[in-house]
Amino acid sequence: MSKINFSRKKRYLSGIDWIIHALDYITKKAIGTGNTSQIVLELEGSLQEDKFRTCLDSLIKKYPVLYGRPSRNYNLAPYWKIFSKRQSRLLPVKVYHLEYINHTNIFKLLEQKANLKFINEQEHLFFHLIHAENKTYVAMTFDHRLFDALGAEAFLEMLQNEWKNKDNSFCDKNIIVPAESAHLCNWRRKFIAGQQANRAFLKMSKNAPPRVLPLPASLNNLGFRFKVIPFDKYQTDLILENAYKDAGYLMLMPYVLASAIWVIHRLFSKRNIKSGDYVVPVSIDMRPTDKVQQEVFFNHVSFLFFIIRSDEAEHFPFLIKSIKQQLYDQVKSGLPSNFQEASLLMRILPLPILSNIMRLYLKGQIASFSFSNVGEGAYRSSNFMGKKILNIFHMPRVPVPPGLGIFFHQFQNKLNVVLSFLEGILSDKEANELIHTLQSRLGEK
Amino acid sequence: MGKKNLKEIENILAQEIAIILSVDPSRVIKDIPLHEMGIDSLSFVELLVFIEKTFNIKLMESGLTREDFRTIRSLASSIRVQSE
Repeated sequence: MSKINFSRKKRYLSGIDWIIHALDYITKKAIGTGNTSQIVLELEGSLQEDKFRTCLDSLIKKYPVLYGRPSRNYNLAPYWKIFSKRQSRLLPVKVYHLEYINHTNIFKLLEQKANLKFINEQEHLFFHLIHAENKTYVAMTFDHRLFDALGAEAFLEMLQNEWKNKDNSFCDKNIIVPAESAHLCNWRRKFIAGQQANRAFLKMSKNAPPRVLPLPASLNNLGFRFKVIPFDKYQTDLILENAYKDAGYLMLMPYVLASAIWVIHRLFSKRNIKSGDYVVPVSIDMRPTDKVQQEVFFNHVSFLFFIIRSDEAEHFPFLIKSIKQQLYDQVKSGLPSNFQEASLLMRILPLPILSNIMRLYLKGQIASFSFSNVGEGAYRSSNFMGKKILNIFHMPRVPVPPGLGIFFHQFQNKLNVVLSFLEGILSDKEANELIHTLQSRLGEK
Repeated sequence: MGKKNLKEIENILAQEIAIILSVDPSRVIKDIPLHEMGIDSLSFVELLVFIEKTFNIKLMESGLTREDFRTIRSLASSIRVQSE
C-alpha cells in the first residue's frame, strides 16, 4: 500500500480529475483551446465594479489553488501543485458598457468571451462584466480541470458570501485532502470496479464507431457557438407535466435526454448519416447535496452511458423506455461509482496515452454528443452582490470530438437548455432548427 | 426480509431517503411529496433500486402514478399492497 502524505502544496487528483485532464488534452490537441466553460449571471441593475473587484481579490488571496498547475509525484500520482499565497495575483476582470440592450450583441460578446484562451498553465479563471442599460451580465470563464459545473456555481456563492462578509472557511480544508480512494491503494477493489466498467464499455463498443457529426477538415483555432433558451415558470411547468405524462413521476432527466436524442436523430437523418448507434455520456454529480459548498474545487462527477440503436431513436415512447431501463440498470449495477473507482487506475497513464485509450473503445470517437443531468444548481441565493438574479446559464465548450452537446440546467425552478457546438459542424440554420424542434418535442411550443 | 407493517416500511423508506439526500433522518417528512424533498430523477431511481433489493418489488414499470409516490406514507402503502 502506498500512502500519500498530505502537503499544503499538493492536491492529489482523483481518477475523474485525470479523465477531465485527458479531455482537456484531447481538445487542446484538436482545436488549440482546452476543456473550458463559462457561467453567466444575468442581473437586474448595475453591479458595482469596485465592490466586485474588492470581493474577488479578497477571496482569491485565500485560495492559491486557483493558480495551481498539474504535476506528477515520484509515486506516479498526478497532483495539482499549489503555490504559496505570496505568488497569488489578481484575476483578470474586463468591463464592457453597452449603450442599450441588444440581445444579439450581448450574446455574441458572451460567446466570444467563452472562447478565450487562458494565457498560461497557471491561469484557470477570468471574469467579464457587461453592463447594458439596467442589466449586468457577470461571465465567469473557467478551466474544467479546476471546477466542475456545480463547483463553479458554488465558487460564485463563495464570492457572494465574501460580499456578505460571511465565512467561507468551511470549504478550505477539503482542497488539500484527497478523497480516501485517491490513494494508490486498494488495488483489488479498483480492479473489480475496473472489470465492471470495462464490461459496460465493451457493450458500448459493439457497434463502434458511434454516430457522430463529421468535424471540419481544419480544426485549428475553431471556437464554439451557443444557443441558450431560457424557459419561464409556465413553460417549465408544461415540460414537467409532459415529462410526467410521457415518462412517469420524477422522470424529467430520461424525458429531456430522450427529447435531445430524438432531435439529434432528426438532424442526422436529414444529413443522411446512417452508420453507428448513438452513444451519449451523461455527467452526474457524485457529491452528497450538503457537500457541494465544501467540495468546490476539482471534479466530483461521474458518468452514465446511454446507447441508443438508430432504429429506436425515432420512436419517442421506445426511446424513453430504453433510457429509463438503462438508467435503472446502471444505477443498480453501481456503474457511476465503479467508473469513479476504476478511473483511479488511469492516473498512472500519461495524458497522451490515456487520451488514446479513451478513444480506443469507440474507434477514435468518444460520444455522439454530450449531455448533462438536470438538477437544481449550486448557487442558491436569489441575488448576487445586492442585485436580483434574473437567470443563470452555462456555456460549456464540449470536448472535441464530438464538439456537440445539449445541457439542461435548473435555476429557481426554471429550466434552461443550451446547445453548444463547434463552429462548422452545424450551420446556423441547422442549430436554430434543432433548438426549435427540441422546444416542440419538449411540448413547450 | 419478513413481512413488514406499514410503519416499518415507512421508517425504512425514510432512512433510505435520508441516506440518498445526505440529510439527517429527522429532516425527512413523511407527508410531503418526494419531489419537494429534493429528489430528482437519479435519486428517485436509486430509491427504486433500493425498493427492489429490499422488498423484491420492481416499481419502475409497475404503472404506479404520481399519487402512489405522493408521500412516503402513500409509497409505503403501495409497497405493502404489492408485496401481499
